[in-house]
Amino acid sequence: MVSTSTEHFRAYKPRPFMRDEREHVTILFGGLHWRAERIIQASLDRLGYRTEILPTATREDLLAGRALADIGQCCPTSFTTGNLANFLRDRAKESSAEQVAENYVYFTAGSCGSCRFGQYHQSYELALRNSGLETFRMFLLAQSGLDQGAVEGGGLELNLPFTLGAVWAVLVSDIVQDLEYQTRPYEVVPGETDRVVEECVDYLCEVFRDAPVPGGKVGAAAWYLSTGYFVKALREVHRRFRAVRLDRLRVKPIVKITGEFYLQTVEGEPNYNIHRWLEAEGAEVYPAAITIWLDYLMRLACQELEDHIGLNRNARSNLMLLKSAQWLLRKNYQRMRRALDDVPHALPCQKELRELAAPWYHSRLTGGEGDMLVGKTLWAYKRNKAHMICELSPYACMPNTMSIGAMAGVLGRHPEILYAPLEIKGDAEVHALSRCQMVLTEARRRAQTEFEEVLEQTGLDLDTARERLEALPEAASAGWPVPQRGATGTAANMVLHLADTRYRRSAAAEVKPAPKPARLEPAVSVPVSFDYGGMCAPCIPCRPCVPEPRPSS
Amino acid sequence: MDPRRIHFSSDTSEEQAREFAKGRGTVDCCYPVKCISGHYGELLAREKKKLDVLFSPMIYSLPSFMHGHVTDSLACPRVMAAPENIKAGFIKEEDAFAARGIKYAAPFVALADRPIVPKQLFEGLRDVFPGLTLRETQMAVDKGYAALEEFNDELRRRSREVLNECAEHDRPCLLVLARPYHMDIGIGHEIEVDLQANGYPVLWGQYLPTDADLLEWIFRDDLDAGIISSPFDISDVWPSSYSANTNEILWGAKVAARLPWVAGVIRLSSYECGMDQPTYSPVQQIVERSGTLFFSFQDLDSTKPAGSVKIRVETISFYLEKYSADIIAKKKAASPPACPLAAVA
Repeated sequence: MVSTSTEHFRAYKPRPFMRDEREHVTILFGGLHWRAERIIQASLDRLGYRTEILPTATREDLLAGRALADIGQCCPTSFTTGNLANFLRDRAKESSAEQVAENYVYFTAGSCGSCRFGQYHQSYELALRNSGLETFRMFLLAQSGLDQGAVEGGGLELNLPFTLGAVWAVLVSDIVQDLEYQTRPYEVVPGETDRVVEECVDYLCEVFRDAPVPGGKVGAAAWYLSTGYFVKALREVHRRFRAVRLDRLRVKPIVKITGEFYLQTVEGEPNYNIHRWLEAEGAEVYPAAITIWLDYLMRLACQELEDHIGLNRNARSNLMLLKSAQWLLRKNYQRMRRALDDVPHALPCQKELRELAAPWYHSRLTGGEGDMLVGKTLWAYKRNKAHMICELSPYACMPNTMSIGAMAGVLGRHPEILYAPLEIKGDAEVHALSRCQMVLTEARRRAQTEFEEVLEQTGLDLDTARERLEALPEAASAGWPVPQRGATGTAANMVLHLADTRYRRSAAAEVKPAPKPARLEPAVSVPVSFDYGGMCAPCIPCRPCVPEPRPSS
Repeated sequence: MDPRRIHFSSDTSEEQAREFAKGRGTVDCCYPVKCISGHYGELLAREKKKLDVLFSPMIYSLPSFMHGHVTDSLACPRVMAAPENIKAGFIKEEDAFAARGIKYAAPFVALADRPIVPKQLFEGLRDVFPGLTLRETQMAVDKGYAALEEFNDELRRRSREVLNECAEHDRPCLLVLARPYHMDIGIGHEIEVDLQANGYPVLWGQYLPTDADLLEWIFRDDLDAGIISSPFDISDVWPSSYSANTNEILWGAKVAARLPWVAGVIRLSSYECGMDQPTYSPVQQIVERSGTLFFSFQDLDSTKPAGSVKIRVETISFYLEKYSADIIAKKKAASPPACPLAAVA
């Protein structure tokens, strides 16, 4: 019964990935939406890496993940673990486990600390061992550093050209994704948006592959921060989108997607294809940009440094450096938006999210999305960004359940917020979607009521609005920005804009081009009480976003 | 402030939740967090000695004897956010604190980062206690850490006594690997007490002795081989050493695997514990590879599963009785010479 071994248990340690292996070893990665994955892949191709994107996880992957690793995992762990294991097992069937271990390495983000995300590797390791693939190599990229040096062996260099290339790929793909989701629900020719997006992503991949590779840390940073290369490419994307004709007078509720990072980002079975399902149900989806996550990580690090001012000698100077980096990230995102006439949504201001969430959820509570889930919900509601919030919460996610619990207090104060927290197990689709549908029904009704109120307020009817729209062909283009004029819905804002006196004058006189909507005065002018430090794009609040008092303090 | 004016809620129990937490839950999560609603409700419902302030800090990180040897000493994300989550259940319909004239104080505090603690507590409490100064807060914090240190030292001294006793008579003992809240009788359900009643001394991983002579002996082979850089280094078994309690559980498993007189390990884990989940296999492997017996009680919830605990305790006792002498002998044979515990004999 008892056998004592002097060989103690040791954790998995991958053998080195050598520099001379780059030629024949393929780096696997995944877990984002397809646009980001493809453009990141192009960025890595440029640096001489062989890469392959893991397929989007499926329900079979979920079941495999549950079977291969410890019981009780959160659903993103099960999906991603099973996804990797199934991919490798399929490849091993074609060759052998040894060949797979020799020819592939897996590369993923990890180490966020307190939540299980920082411990995913344990599930991967267990699954690989249980699949007979224990010699397979996987490497983690910490989320907290841009220049982490080379992994052991030098096969993968996590230096500035690498990480900045990946970050810029994320920025660009976020912009394209945002534009896509604002376009598809209103397209006149079904399928045109998907076709243009495919073309644009192909084009951007070429742009990234052909981009120069600046040498050294300073050279790489200077080039990325100053180049107009990607802005120019996005102008071409804008040109292609301008050809897509839209009918923005279709009334659709806007549904903001929030939630746990993986579930809000991925598009497929892990989140019941919620993006496409919502569109099929008549909604306009406001997707969750990955850049917001990067911005949030920088905000967290800034908060940590702020707390240590007076205790740590370098805290103040490091804080200034980090704030500058955060400003540059936002500035570059803004530059890219500008290339598309500001049609893609602006990044929400992290300071504002923090202040909105503060009465309900402390900003220093980390793990998952922290206070952002509460902050984004209140932001979307108070700034008329969406009719409804759909929060994707993984089964057994530790931090996400906490912020959903805190939302009970928010909803007690604001019962009018349409908030649908969906627990995603991966295999309970009908339950989650029917729950979402209940809230969506009310969101549809609100969007319709809002539209009718706007028609009444402006004295227009739908036929007149259409006539005016026809007199301004540019406004039917996907590349044309509908200014937010105080309403939430796209159709309602379009009517408000069409009712604008300056527009009427220009349309009557057949003056072209149409007035730039971004420069119009807001329909409702409410003073904004925050100091955004110049980082925030201007937006038009309908209700003052004044932070609420903390209950019982 | 007169210490007699500080009141604690009672131990966790099903009755407490039934009576005071009804309708206060906001989300389904692990029991150690869920049960806090009952504690809040009980404190709010006091008829005698009504409260002025309900103090429930958001503990971001924990003081740990492993701090400095690991990546971080964070608290579980659910535990740290519990005060915000539980509070929501008491304000969603009406502000239950305000209705009773109670101020809710939930300062955010990183206990592993001692220099910042006075600042964080002061910022979180200055509006609750008018006239409070940073200096006073600093003094209170110093006293608090000193008391904690004294308490920990005393328990570690007693653990060493137990181990000395076991080494002297080659008697087996049991090590409990669990989170600190499992010491609450309503969460851990006193499973280890039932085992102790069968005659086996029980140690808790958090209070294993940390004396340099003993640790140097326990980990001598690994230190000499350069596998670890210090006795508290767990990178050889757990590279993601962020969580204070997880780190201590992993370290406790390593100690159990190397200490001959720890013949069995009892692992306690609560229902839906996301921090324990990734550690199930590594902890079991660390312990069992050494030939030490491993028993786990997983998915503990509000109800004590008395019947199954009784059967399990009988099983564990049977195995210990049958195999512990063999386990001790084999582990001793695999250990380095000159054990400081055996030297007591």
